[in-house]
Amino acid sequence: MTSPMRSSFDDIARSAALWPIWARLGLQDVRLKFRRSAIGPAWIFINLAILVVSIGFIYANLLGQEPRQFIPYLTIGMILWAYLTNSIIDGGNAFVHSEGYIKQISLPIYVYLFRFFISITATMLITMCAFVIVAVLYRLPVGLGTLLAVPGLLMLMATSLLLIAIFAHLNARFRDVAHLASVAMQVLFYVTPVIFPAHLLQNRGRLAWIVELNPMFHLLEVVRRPLLSNSAAEWHSYLVAVGIIAVLGTVSMVLVRVYGRRIVFAL
Amino acid sequence: MAHLHISHVDLEFTVGAERQDTLHSMLRRGLMRHTEQRTVKALQDVSITIAAGERVGLIGHNGAGKSTLLKVMAGIYPPKRGAVAVDGHVCPLFEFVTGFEMEATGWENIRTRALLLGMSPREIDRKIDSIAAFSNLGEFLDIPVRHYSSGMFVRLAFATSTAVDPQILLLDEVMAAGDAVFINSARQRMNDLMLRASVVVFASHSLDVLPSFCDRTILLQKGRVIADGPTAEVVRLYEAQTAVPVT
Repeated sequence: MTSPMRSSFDDIARSAALWPIWARLGLQDVRLKFRRSAIGPAWIFINLAILVVSIGFIYANLLGQEPRQFIPYLTIGMILWAYLTNSIIDGGNAFVHSEGYIKQISLPIYVYLFRFFISITATMLITMCAFVIVAVLYRLPVGLGTLLAVPGLLMLMATSLLLIAIFAHLNARFRDVAHLASVAMQVLFYVTPVIFPAHLLQNRGRLAWIVELNPMFHLLEVVRRPLLSNSAAEWHSYLVAVGIIAVLGTVSMVLVRVYGRRIVFAL
Repeated sequence: MAHLHISHVDLEFTVGAERQDTLHSMLRRGLMRHTEQRTVKALQDVSITIAAGERVGLIGHNGAGKSTLLKVMAGIYPPKRGAVAVDGHVCPLFEFVTGFEMEATGWENIRTRALLLGMSPREIDRKIDSIAAFSNLGEFLDIPVRHYSSGMFVRLAFATSTAVDPQILLLDEVMAAGDAVFINSARQRMNDLMLRASVVVFASHSLDVLPSFCDRTILLQKGRVIADGPTAEVVRLYEAQTAVPVT
């Protein structure tokens, strides 16, 4: 405690150790969001259900897909996509929205990144229940292969935490970043196989690269494939996912090193 | 033993750059190749050592750097130059309400606020009843604080914030002075809190509270330490300065 220039990486470790604080704040954020509504978190389902039903039946017809396969695919895709989007857009506000805390309370600042990670991840896990319902309705195959979704989900969660860290720093420093990111995510949504099956593009030789070179696609696949088909994703999807985590990890470490506690001056 | 040591600390706020930078302004600066950042020197070459058992007052005009110095001590602002060494748990109390959520109940808010101030969950279990008792809110604690009157809200926030057992307590203006809103019991509770802490540093305008509590006072002016010594002497110096008619 006595070193004057405690490194930022010590701050991260101290922040992690303060889990009773960030876990409570994060879960409280989720609870309070729905406290005054009559049906509470059920809104998350309703929101998703309307989207899936409306997009699902139109696109299944449009793209000549079996609803039996397409609806579960769409449901899980939307859930995971929303998770990544929330990490970037909402998570990007982790420092900006915590200004009051950061400037009044002497806790290491990374506590607030974990807080946002908890609330965003808890929201995703709640929506996962919607997928379970769909999976039961459409009798998706379940087995040992389904369990492979767990490591996939862990990779996705690591990605979420790192995205929150990166965009929280960038957005504190340059307030345009949130807007820029939200535009970028919209574009990515349409080129990433979420509301259309990947093989439609993959089968068109010339456009296959849009899928194969899209890191977002592989991130989705490591969770989506095991859940839908009781089997592992392509091995190179795992490789890409690990690569993404390595790159994001490096970028966030650089940002933490460059800004550290000085991020308070940008707020 | 709790103590606090600050040596040769400089702190600058950059106005117009770090604060409100846009990609546009960044680009423009990059192209023009000269920086038009304005810096405000908030603290300059500040060195202070405070030992266990000391109660130190901080005085100075608005903008002299009192609050900034407290935030450096709290580890909130990293100094640009110089070293800050703190031994002991630091509890800054610059206001009462950070962490309060309008939609959460009184009980929930007590727990959240107490955690943020550094109390452990077990410590909170032990203290929560006495906090509730002091707040005198009874069954209102079961409902969201959104329904509270501002008086009730302040009572709850004050009761919770003053329940900490800090080693190093940092207080700013309002907290230290004991706002007119607070009745005698609140003043008493504030005094108890300050007596419990091993080290107290508080920034104040009110020169009547200061001598009764601090043996030592530091006078800041434009981010520099102008005087550091027995409260009576420093206050006299400060009053002499203030008495100079403004032209």
